[in-house]
Amino acid sequence: MTNLLEIASRATKKAEDFGADQAEVYVSSQRAFTIDVENNSIKSAVEQRDSGCGIRTVVGKKIGFAYVTTLDETDIIEMARKSVALATASLPDPHFKSLPSFSEQYPRVDGLYDKDVAELSSEDAAGLVVRAVDATKESISDTQFAIEASITSSATDRAIVNSLGISQTAQSTFMMLYSRPTIKTNDHQLSSFEYQVSRHLNAIDPEWIGNTAAKNVLRTMGPKIVEGGDLPVLLSPLAVGTILGGGFAGAIDAEEVQYGRSYISDAFGSKIGSENLHIIDDGLLEGGTGSRPFDGEGYPSQRTEILSDGVLKNLLHNSYTANKDGVANTGNASRPSYTGIPSISSSNFVISPGKGTLDDLISEIDKGIYCKNTGDRPNMTTGDLSAMVMEGFYIERGEIKYPVKNTLIGINMRDLLQRIHRIGADTRATFSIVSPSLVVESAKITSG
Amino acid sequence: MVFFLFVPIISKSNVTCRLHISYIQQALASHIRWAIFMESLTEAAIEAALKTGASFADVRIENTTTTIIEITDGVSKRSMASHLKGAGIRAFIDGAWAFAQTTDLTTTGMRDTGISVAKLALATHEKVSDHFEIDGPTFTGKHKASVKTHFDDVSIEEKIAFVKSIDDQARLYDSRIINTKTIYGDLWSELFIANSLGTSIYIENSLPIIVSVPTAKDGASRQRAHLSIGSKGGYETMEKEGPQQIGESAAKRAIELLSSVSAKGGTYDVILNPILNGVMVHEAFGHACEADNWPAHTTVLEDKIGKSVGPEHLNISDDPTLKGLRGTFEYDWEGTKTVKRHLVNDGILTDLLHSLETSSRLGMPPNGAARAQSFMHSPLPRMSNTFMEPGDWDVDEMIADTKEGLMLCDFNYGYTNTAKGQFMFQAKHGYLITNGEIGQMVRDVSIAGNILEILSKIDAIGNDLELDAGTCGKSGQYIPDNAGGPHTRILQVPVGGM
Repeated sequence: MTNLLEIASRATKKAEDFGADQAEVYVSSQRAFTIDVENNSIKSAVEQRDSGCGIRTVVGKKIGFAYVTTLDETDIIEMARKSVALATASLPDPHFKSLPSFSEQYPRVDGLYDKDVAELSSEDAAGLVVRAVDATKESISDTQFAIEASITSSATDRAIVNSLGISQTAQSTFMMLYSRPTIKTNDHQLSSFEYQVSRHLNAIDPEWIGNTAAKNVLRTMGPKIVEGGDLPVLLSPLAVGTILGGGFAGAIDAEEVQYGRSYISDAFGSKIGSENLHIIDDGLLEGGTGSRPFDGEGYPSQRTEILSDGVLKNLLHNSYTANKDGVANTGNASRPSYTGIPSISSSNFVISPGKGTLDDLISEIDKGIYCKNTGDRPNMTTGDLSAMVMEGFYIERGEIKYPVKNTLIGINMRDLLQRIHRIGADTRATFSIVSPSLVVESAKITSG
Repeated sequence: MVFFLFVPIISKSNVTCRLHISYIQQALASHIRWAIFMESLTEAAIEAALKTGASFADVRIENTTTTIIEITDGVSKRSMASHLKGAGIRAFIDGAWAFAQTTDLTTTGMRDTGISVAKLALATHEKVSDHFEIDGPTFTGKHKASVKTHFDDVSIEEKIAFVKSIDDQARLYDSRIINTKTIYGDLWSELFIANSLGTSIYIENSLPIIVSVPTAKDGASRQRAHLSIGSKGGYETMEKEGPQQIGESAAKRAIELLSSVSAKGGTYDVILNPILNGVMVHEAFGHACEADNWPAHTTVLEDKIGKSVGPEHLNISDDPTLKGLRGTFEYDWEGTKTVKRHLVNDGILTDLLHSLETSSRLGMPPNGAARAQSFMHSPLPRMSNTFMEPGDWDVDEMIADTKEGLMLCDFNYGYTNTAKGQFMFQAKHGYLITNGEIGQMVRDVSIAGNILEILSKIDAIGNDLELDAGTCGKSGQYIPDNAGGPHTRILQVPVGGM
């Protein structure tokens, strides 16, 4: 850790020596371990060690960036030189003011690092994934089945240093375990999955994952097409994660709004969602997979109110967009690793729960679609969403009737936000979001 | 989560890891010296892995440089360079694989990683239940990229000036263009591949790309177009008319979209243009032909080899040997010489996409389809340039022959679940067809369907052919590829609407 900070600090000075007015160095070192299961049995193990250094430099109002996939000093010096050369050759950005600075106390975020994850042995990892496979088998053993599963654990150290005094390090761990059974029946081949993500080993429950994955796939037997039309749509937390976690969190990215590329570009301060809808972006959530003490530019994380009673209260900012609008930085600079310049993304996108279980929500629907999973996001400029129901069901008179196939949901995101008229209390964390199930009053259903 | 995604080449979040590109100033200027040096490194790793107990081992050493230049509204947003160098090493024992990578490109570093990856394979071996061996032909050779102007012979200033000119072109096209975004990327890559069977291959790759993304606004209507042109070759490919005019072409599309309407959902007869047909072939069929799905039992095509999967006039190929395309490569990432794959021949599923593992396990000849995003990843069976072969319909006649329907063009993205046979893809725009005539423009039109059902609905295949560059994601690895075909008509498919 101190080593990473030293590397970053030396590289910052190097970049300044080469002529940068300001420099920022992001260094990370990650160890990840994965075991994959194919056709019910372990097949491969992967150990990844990924270390590298990304250098952003500022010359006047011009910016350059370079990275290398090593922490070798010669390579880093070469990249510092290259970054400054790129900045020098760039076209000036009149809106650029400065890299961020911060000299007060950083927030403390608990639960981001678990020694048990960092030190998980290959034997123990294999044990966990085998338990998930065995639990999946239990309820599908009388079918023709093939289970795919995988466990990944990773530990990351990172350091960020800039010319304005930012100098921070953090450690975090991450785990994911999934099971994906495929079963064959006489006329169909069916597949579903279940997974958990966490920063902690003890939050991963292989039996729950396996049992639920098996239940999920059995429930998709005998899919049918449905009669289309305007119907209510119940979105599971997984579907909310894709549609809102991707499709709304991306729309309130201040950069997209400033450039007029977002479907909510003209909506700041107005009521864009139903009054049941409260969303915060919470970078400080204890143990959250999106939590971090500081963002991709080393600026402190915070809680930012996004929607309150459906009113758009804030956008997500990094230092550049905040300076451009003359507003406070929300600490939402994000970078995948040392390989990119900071863009903007949500941290933990948290939708406040309402009342009722999933069954309660289903029981309130006379005729509708339960969309458990989709891979689709809206057109971020128009807001039009056309989403395939990857896994979903037809609801009639308050009960799930049968699984659907070849079925699409069509709705504009601005309508979708306004029509979320019912929010459950079955909150769950997925990759991008912490959300309960939501009911959209009406959307266009096409099936055939 | 296994998830297959086909997207246009650059989208906001994925550019950094995808387009690793170049200005190369390596001390190891002589390729011959480099090759000898690489050979000693791969030997060290392979020998160490075999001694530790592996029955097969292979190594990929990569040296890649990239440049990305992004200009928005005439201002530099990204001027970026990267350098990737390292080695990925795999060890195999009797059905068990292990993979690890190192950036320590010394004999000691390679030997140590060879030993540790073999140990990991030995540990994994105790838990596998499906036993098999890896075998295949060996290849030795060098393939140099055919490049007139190397990326590093063009100054960064010149590249920035080119991107600026495209950005200006888009903005000046019409006063309703409110935002422009232009991205240039180049990637120069050297790859040295060796395995314990005796394969030893050196390949170079040179991939430039230009992308224009203008946004237009008129009253409350806001539309965004996205055009990209990518190929295999040097900087000279950017001097052709297409890349030089891309800003204007994209701006024109964004302005046209202002007067488009959302399609009404329903079941339609649909004509796909060549680019969208490519996405259908890629999503609704190509992924399901990746042979790693057979031992895993995760494709609805499992029992279909040698059987009918579509009409007799249907032919689908995957061909990495086509000249100058982003999905073209002489040897795959395992060092296997590539050949054209006739996936569907006269409606019959005849070939699959193989790695050494799948060809060994299925007892089929290897065809060089193993690809990896970089040295940090293990190769998987993947597509290259995938397309439907042309038929005999004149395109104008096909349109005139369509009473009511939709003509759908280009793509935003698509994805598939091969185990369930489900797929969806989204056209960028399209046109209503009424009484054989093209009419009102529509936008963002999605099609969902089932792999086993959609191909049998193909009733007319055009006599034209066009391929378009894309990026394909599978198991977290993104690779450049191409997809295309002729204009094609499909009967009665569900089309999503607003």
